[in-house]
Amino acid sequence: MLKDYLDHEMYKHIVSAFNFNDINEIRMRVNQNLIVVVKNKKYFVKDDNGDFIKISKFDLENFIRRASQNSLYAYNDSIINGYITLPKGIRVGLSGEVVSENGQVMTIKNFSSLSIRIPHIIKNCSLPVYDFLVKGGDVKNTLIVSSPGAGKTTFLRDLIFQFYTHNFSKNVLLVDERNEITNMNDSEISYDLGCFVDIYTNCSKSFAFKNGIRSMRPEIIVVDELDLEKDLAGLINAMNSGVTVIATIHAKDINQLKRKTGFDEILNQRYFQRFVVLNEDNGPGTLEGVYDERLNYIFSGGL
Amino acid sequence: MKWLLIITFIFVIMIIALSVSEQYKDKYNFYVNLKLFLEKFKLNLAFKQEKLDNFLNSIKSKKQFRLFIDEYKRYLETNELDLSKIQILEQDEIAELKEIITSVGRLDQKGELEQTECFLKRIEPKLSKANEDMTKLCPMIIKLSLLFAVGLAILLI
Repeated sequence: MLKDYLDHEMYKHIVSAFNFNDINEIRMRVNQNLIVVVKNKKYFVKDDNGDFIKISKFDLENFIRRASQNSLYAYNDSIINGYITLPKGIRVGLSGEVVSENGQVMTIKNFSSLSIRIPHIIKNCSLPVYDFLVKGGDVKNTLIVSSPGAGKTTFLRDLIFQFYTHNFSKNVLLVDERNEITNMNDSEISYDLGCFVDIYTNCSKSFAFKNGIRSMRPEIIVVDELDLEKDLAGLINAMNSGVTVIATIHAKDINQLKRKTGFDEILNQRYFQRFVVLNEDNGPGTLEGVYDERLNYIFSGGL
Repeated sequence: MKWLLIITFIFVIMIIALSVSEQYKDKYNFYVNLKLFLEKFKLNLAFKQEKLDNFLNSIKSKKQFRLFIDEYKRYLETNELDLSKIQILEQDEIAELKEIITSVGRLDQKGELEQTECFLKRIEPKLSKANEDMTKLCPMIIKLSLLFAVGLAILLI
């Protein structure tokens, strides 16, 4: 898949050195060595002469040109948020010169580095905790916690599929803000999520919390990468509208989560009944444990 | 036999004259199409924001401008560009087209709009020149050729 976007030689050296299915991330920084992340370990990639491959500005621009299908203007909405999503849910994070006007980000130009994150399907990765999240025909409000790249999205995708395999017939509204959970293209999605899922792609969580509840009448709303400062009001509104929320959030562990702005209210009001913590100790998606609404440890991932 | 030869001679001269004047018409049409193409691209940027390959597929064109569109599509796929097939254009005109092809699609919407506006301003004098050449030179070439052919025919008689 990345073959279409990466420089031919670069791709050849990467696949000759690594099993492509094991690669979690590829990082390109102008005038620096190409880095490949495999199972949370970073490697430099060598060329035919045994020298490390260095990334030029041209390499970076070429990649972005191909990733945007020669149409950067068509991707500006996602570039403003710092990424482009490629087919198969591959997310390309971008950094460079941020152009702002009246305090509002207009675009990013003069790209200096990018991070290509390759998602993997880990079948049944959510199964060990399924019974802690679903009881008596009801799903508990659940927050999935991990640092970036530790498998939240993969876990979330599998959990939705588990609802389907367990004949759980509640309407699920999936809010796929970056189109990386479903990779929807022309109304078709790249992953099997079952037949009870409605999907919003490229839409803000606030839109989904407000309009989605009204229009799609979901019983469960699934959102990725919650920003408590921005999304708290919508989240509370959704929960108080009789909808179950399953969300993910960035934090390394429970202690970091506790220190997040807005989390006090969540904890005091017991908005979430389950917290699933993932880490990268044994590769992305390693289950650390499940906590209840008082943050008591109720299940260990076996570490 | 002599008359047949004279008629053939006039006919050949006129065919050559028409094909030369046709080139001026082709060049004018090429620039009209290029202007329309850039205008349409501006509309695309403002509303639909269709990706470049889809946008190019939506362009209906013929003759020399078709070559331009085909070469543009080939460039998007292979990153190689050869505009020498468009024989009606001078070297500096080809260089300008290359600049358009290699620049479009690399900026955000606002930047693309400004850039396209700039390209439109740059092709305007070329369009005027092509129009002037077509309106002045085409009838002149045909008239001169006809005059030349008739003169030559008189001499042969």
